[in-house]
Amino acid sequence: MTLLGQTSAWSGIPVGEHLWVFSPMIALIATMLAVVACPIVVGRSARTIARVATLGVIVTLGLTLATWGEVSTNPVSGLSTQPTSGMLIADNLSIGFQVILMVFLLGVIYLWKIGSAGSEENAPEFFILLLGSALGMILMVSTSNLLMIVLGIEMASLPSYAIVGFNKRDRKGAEASVKYMIFGAVCAAIMLYGVSLLYGMVGSLSVADLARYTVEQFAGGQHPLLLSVGLLCLLVGPAFKISAVPFHFWCPDAFEGARIEVTTWLSVASKAAGLILLARMVSTFAGAVDEPLAMSVLKPLAWTIGIMAAVTCTLGNFAAYPQQSVKRLLAYSSIAHAGYMMMAVAVFLHPQADRSGEPMAALMFYIIVYVFMNLGAFGVTALVSWETGSDRIEGFTGLMRRAPWLAVPMVVCLISLVGLPPMAGFLAKWWVLVALGSLADGWGANLAWFLIIVAVVNTLISLYYYLRIVVVMTLRDTGEPVIRSPIGGLALVNFCALMLLALLVVSAPLKATADRFSRNLFDATTVTQPAGEPVAAALDRAD
Amino acid sequence: MATISLNHYLIVGAVLFCTGLFTMMTKRNAIGILIGVELVLNSVNVNLIAFDRYLGPNRMDGQLMALFVIVLAAAEAALAVGICINLYKNVATVDVDRATSLRG
Repeated sequence: MTLLGQTSAWSGIPVGEHLWVFSPMIALIATMLAVVACPIVVGRSARTIARVATLGVIVTLGLTLATWGEVSTNPVSGLSTQPTSGMLIADNLSIGFQVILMVFLLGVIYLWKIGSAGSEENAPEFFILLLGSALGMILMVSTSNLLMIVLGIEMASLPSYAIVGFNKRDRKGAEASVKYMIFGAVCAAIMLYGVSLLYGMVGSLSVADLARYTVEQFAGGQHPLLLSVGLLCLLVGPAFKISAVPFHFWCPDAFEGARIEVTTWLSVASKAAGLILLARMVSTFAGAVDEPLAMSVLKPLAWTIGIMAAVTCTLGNFAAYPQQSVKRLLAYSSIAHAGYMMMAVAVFLHPQADRSGEPMAALMFYIIVYVFMNLGAFGVTALVSWETGSDRIEGFTGLMRRAPWLAVPMVVCLISLVGLPPMAGFLAKWWVLVALGSLADGWGANLAWFLIIVAVVNTLISLYYYLRIVVVMTLRDTGEPVIRSPIGGLALVNFCALMLLALLVVSAPLKATADRFSRNLFDATTVTQPAGEPVAAALDRAD
Repeated sequence: MATISLNHYLIVGAVLFCTGLFTMMTKRNAIGILIGVELVLNSVNVNLIAFDRYLGPNRMDGQLMALFVIVLAAAEAALAVGICINLYKNVATVDVDRATSLRG
């Protein structure tokens, strides 16, 4: 204990009430253990395992909601005596993400149950990987420590690589998982090198210290090369999870090669986790600036993220044009949507400014809507491709006659993905534009207008390829046979479509929820005392 | 005779990083790329330990992180080799340029 007691990060073991706040994560780990134990106790039946996993996820969701009240008034930063170094954080943002993730996970498990449970021999392994990546994503968003960020990203990534290539005799899956794994390993290695450089410069692994150090350096009007390189390397990690350009190459391949339930899972969960991680880091950086008026020192960072967002959504939309596979088309569409969401992150608003919660609330709102849009669109694609054996666009020909209960929700989801008015997708984009607009009269006016124009133009571009599917479904008919889908699957996709319509009507409470998720974040803005001397002094002494 | 300073360690780390990056970019063999990744992870460890040694007497964060990075490298390597074997069984190669059934 004396050894551990000397270090800054490990000296505070959490007390009982902190463990209660982190009980959702513990419940998720317990579910994984239960899934491991299941084959020994009751056999490897896929349906039993799915039931155990569903129960575990529901318990996790319940515990999340039960701890929410306490966390929202009294955010906790655990595993540390210094409240700002936050190895584990429980605040509105992390709780909100857990709620969204668990609801989405239930949808994905349900989709798996409809499609794959009958033929699945390795259900326990599948669920361990799925729940493991969920745990990693939760860890990613509930920390402000570089070590935990690295571990969270890896914990989310490693099971994802394996789950993409889960069908052992599937050539496409094998290729997809190798490409995903190699790309992920390279990005993780580069991020780790950046973290090691930043650790040397700052003398601490806390993001708050890093933010303070960066603001101090940038405030002098100079941008030290080593610090900039370190920050760029650090950005590679979240950018890989978000699949932001130029770290997006894994995304279409992994999404096309994986099973469709896995594609659905990765398309929302891994991107949402990466975006919220980035948003938390960005808000810590903004909080390190002394007063709202001095925010322009962070302009280089805001422009880096902003340009990345603009390029990401433009490239995603253009690359979606020639696609023939609906899965691949939706993969590029998810890259484009990641770009829109990243725009909200690029707006560094100072936490003490009046409208500081807006970008974060817009991001949370977008993620909530995006969950339903993607679950619906991928759900319909899954039901069609399970029946016809192909996910090509031609497979959707005449769907309005062959399966109206699939075609109607698909139209709703696609129009929502474009962002046209009667659907919730419109509101999601609207709030992102409002968040950008709140910056338009401040230090980042150029950036804000640039991003607003890019977002609007991109919405117009994306209209074509989404409507291509709608046209194929409604206006063409080659007399293909009627598609019969399981009633549960129809219920799932129609529920998603209904939610997209209902969310527009009840948007006020939803926006209030999104606001609540983004309020009262753990205030990780005050600095800890760096324990050592700065690197320059050490270099002098060593010579 | 000059003493070994922090700079020397950082140069070793940077050389390892560049070697690893070069390996990752030029190799077409999946195992070769993974060796590059391991080199970069080891450069991270050299940096972290060197910073801990030279930045102050009671520093442990970097050393703890280095331990985690070692475990991470092991986990990643184990999984990566498994995925490569899976690719080999399906395609009879681990050359990433010849895995071309996913395009566009």
